[in-house]
Amino acid sequence: MVENALDAGARRISVSIEAGGLKRIIIEDDGCGMSADDLLVALERHATSKLVPDAGGRVDLLNIHTMGFRGEALPSIASVSRCSISSRATGEDAAEVFVEAGRMEGPRPAAFTGRGETGTRIEVRDLFYATPARLKFMKGERAESMAVTDTIKRLAMANPHVAFSLENNGRNSLRYAAEVEGASGQLARLGAIMGRDFRENALEIDAEREGVRLAGFAGLPTLNRGNAQMQFLFVNDRPVKDRMLNGVIRAAYQDFLARDRHPLAALFVDLDPEYVDVNVHPAKTEVRFRDAGNVRGLMIGALRHALAAAGHRASTTVANSALGKVRIEEATSANLWSLPSAPERQASPSSYYRQPSGIDFDQPLPPSGDVMAGLHEAPPPAYRHDAAPSARVEPEAVPAQGMPSDFPLGVARAQLHETYVVAQTADGIVIVDQHAAHERLVYEDMKRQMAAGGVRRQALLIPDVVELTEDEATRVLERADELAELGLEIEPFGAGAICVRATPALFGEMDAMGLIRDLADDFAEYDAGLALKERFEEVMGNMACRGSVRAGRRLNGEEMNALLRQMEATPHSGQCNHGRPTYVELKLADIERLFGRRG
Amino acid sequence: MKLTIERGDLLNALSHVQNVVERRNTIPILSNVLLQASNGELKLTATDLDIEAVDSADATVTREGAVTAPAGTLFDVVRKLPAGSEVELEVQPEGQRLAITAGRSHFELPTLPASDFQTMSSDDTPTKFSLGAKEFARLIDKTRFAISTEETRYYLNGVYLHGAKTEDGTAVLRTVATDGHRLALAELPAPAGSEDLEGIIVPRKAVAEARRLVDAVDEDIEIEVSDTKIVVRAGRAVLTSKLIDGSFPDYGRVIPKGNDRKLTIDNKAFEAAVDRVSTVSAERSRSVKMSLSDGKLVLAVNHAETGVGNEELEAEYGSEAMEIGFNAKYLLDIAGQIEAVEAEFMFSDPASPALVLDPSDDSARYVLMPLRV
Repeated sequence: MVENALDAGARRISVSIEAGGLKRIIIEDDGCGMSADDLLVALERHATSKLVPDAGGRVDLLNIHTMGFRGEALPSIASVSRCSISSRATGEDAAEVFVEAGRMEGPRPAAFTGRGETGTRIEVRDLFYATPARLKFMKGERAESMAVTDTIKRLAMANPHVAFSLENNGRNSLRYAAEVEGASGQLARLGAIMGRDFRENALEIDAEREGVRLAGFAGLPTLNRGNAQMQFLFVNDRPVKDRMLNGVIRAAYQDFLARDRHPLAALFVDLDPEYVDVNVHPAKTEVRFRDAGNVRGLMIGALRHALAAAGHRASTTVANSALGKVRIEEATSANLWSLPSAPERQASPSSYYRQPSGIDFDQPLPPSGDVMAGLHEAPPPAYRHDAAPSARVEPEAVPAQGMPSDFPLGVARAQLHETYVVAQTADGIVIVDQHAAHERLVYEDMKRQMAAGGVRRQALLIPDVVELTEDEATRVLERADELAELGLEIEPFGAGAICVRATPALFGEMDAMGLIRDLADDFAEYDAGLALKERFEEVMGNMACRGSVRAGRRLNGEEMNALLRQMEATPHSGQCNHGRPTYVELKLADIERLFGRRG
Repeated sequence: MKLTIERGDLLNALSHVQNVVERRNTIPILSNVLLQASNGELKLTATDLDIEAVDSADATVTREGAVTAPAGTLFDVVRKLPAGSEVELEVQPEGQRLAITAGRSHFELPTLPASDFQTMSSDDTPTKFSLGAKEFARLIDKTRFAISTEETRYYLNGVYLHGAKTEDGTAVLRTVATDGHRLALAELPAPAGSEDLEGIIVPRKAVAEARRLVDAVDEDIEIEVSDTKIVVRAGRAVLTSKLIDGSFPDYGRVIPKGNDRKLTIDNKAFEAAVDRVSTVSAERSRSVKMSLSDGKLVLAVNHAETGVGNEELEAEYGSEAMEIGFNAKYLLDIAGQIEAVEAEFMFSDPASPALVLDPSDDSARYVLMPLRV
């Protein structure tokens, strides 16, 4: 019904629910309103006042732009509840109807109690009172109100120009002011819903292909979550839940995130309604595309492109959370270097930026006491009087390297704890995790080599026959060419079986059967063979890890500068293979703020 | 239990059984070796529930009895005792510890009761045959390098032992091992009783343990096979192993028959050259390209990043020129098995398996799948 309000061109929508919406739902909007006649039509089953016939009196059912059109929602709700609708259309008198379990009273003239000049106010009370059997199957009050909140949030994301408010049991639970049209308003609204971090770490996506336009925002890989709940897809501004989205996002972020980490994203697909079927699901939360491959390709391409362009944007969440921790300590203790008051690991993304070696990125330097014990066997060098950086760049070496302003990542000044390279940039400092950074460089290099050199295939003496269901086998075999390029040669072997002729030589002896099964699952679920690429990444990632500079190795000035220059030249070097940042940038302004030199 | 035994005898018997014991166990007693003293003999038994090894040594038994003690520690202690010393083993009645005394050294090890030790039931073994220790060792050595380590294809995790007939009708006892990339086959004239041996798959660990026992003896090895077990008797040692329950692939079909492009090459020179050029292939696949032309073989590794390596070898080759790629490790493995001065390669085309033969030993054959780019 909120969708109805949107169709009516409302600028402000307020919803209030009681007892999870079971007791009372009131929806008010300032849209175009309905006349008395339309009110009756609205309550008629399978009738709608939204489709305006063209000059020839025909209605183009294939080309529907409005959110609702089937005329099912309102009558069905009205049939199981006490429902009153009052509305005022432009130039008409306000009218009201009252329906109790399907019996209608009215329309009769009424004083329009809603806001604004025109608009509609729908009040639904005692939902399902007429059908107690249904009532029993409603989830708890909490779950229902969460479902309502979720729905409103999704609609609000799709309609930034509309102000939304949601009142739950008399308390204001959501309030979004109307934002300006365009991308900035969109981002402001998304930030309000998905969190401030998203607003600051989002990449704008804007791409178009064959009449399909993709817009929206995707988070940097360093901003990630443990589940995919913060991934939203909108088709023609209609929020949909589509498994395809998960596959698309996984494919696009594959290089940057571990399999169990999920980035944040809100994507808007706009296309001619003729090419999409929204009538797959009663609540219209699923859609079918006529050309799903194109939409998919567009989405992955656009995301990849945006991520590649952002390869050097270190997430501000990292720097901010580090600064935030320092500030907390300032507040709790006068002495900054006293034992940290064990800042709680809240479920913010920052708490996942842990180094594999057990060195914690979040802790302000120098950590003390028990925190340190886990990090180094020896007492922290920085804690002693003779504390000195692990390595120093001799000042005279700097001029030869050019000025800091010449390089985005600056000039290396020192190495701390034989793990972090500190560099001075034109307007701040950069701290680089040498192992993570180098690992990424090696990995990117290997990927490039593989792309250039092709994949070597080890032919199998005894072909492996994998039994699958017929559907699965067909799906996998359709992609045989694609898989062959990656070194996996397969061919049909009777109904429901696949014969593996060759496997990528890089894997050595491998479980081809398991791989094919994983691929079959991937094709079914995501329409993409992620498993094979993931195996490659795993193998190469492990090789990269072994072939890269470890934490704890002393680097001299030239080595550090070389690392920084390589990072600048390599795409995606802002994150390591697991979505952790490889470097953090602290702006001079931030540092000044730390010392109270700025507000 | 109380006995004295010569350190060398005890060490020898222990070394035959203690390898069966897994380093880490969830059942504590599986880390122990069973010691049984009776009739002037000390019998040692170790098991991992799939393989059981038993050996015995002469000892002066003053009090009969049985106990189990940690196999690894006992072996290490005995190994470090001075050669030629007399070792006294005694179970202390009060502490239930095993006291080991040799000269001025004294150790006490914790024990677990012998009654808790699980021994394998002895099945009826319908097939029995015996063969020379050297022959048996050869059957194993020629094939075990090709055993698969990929757990999902468990039926390749062992050596396939069976009685077969060659093309000319001679009955042979044959071993075959493959990991799906290469295959090794060895055979010898079938010893009496083995002609009708249906194929059994002997697990990798049992193959290794059996090979260890065989080293120590000169006399014939006795082999007994039932549906589920194989028993190998070498001297006083007995190894019993469960068999892998699976069907080995029909290997006969993958051994190429019509390969007519023949390359004969000095094996040592070939091995050394492969080893040299593969130095520059950094990746794990270690692919080496063999270019064959009239009278010569060029081995080449060409890698964009790590470099280029080439070596030309003189060879006997008279067929059409061709190029074929292989995993260097597989080539080296096979070259290591060839005993003759020269190795023979039989090729068909760059995408088909190659057959490698040892001119001095026509009872061993190797098949190798090429790499494709």
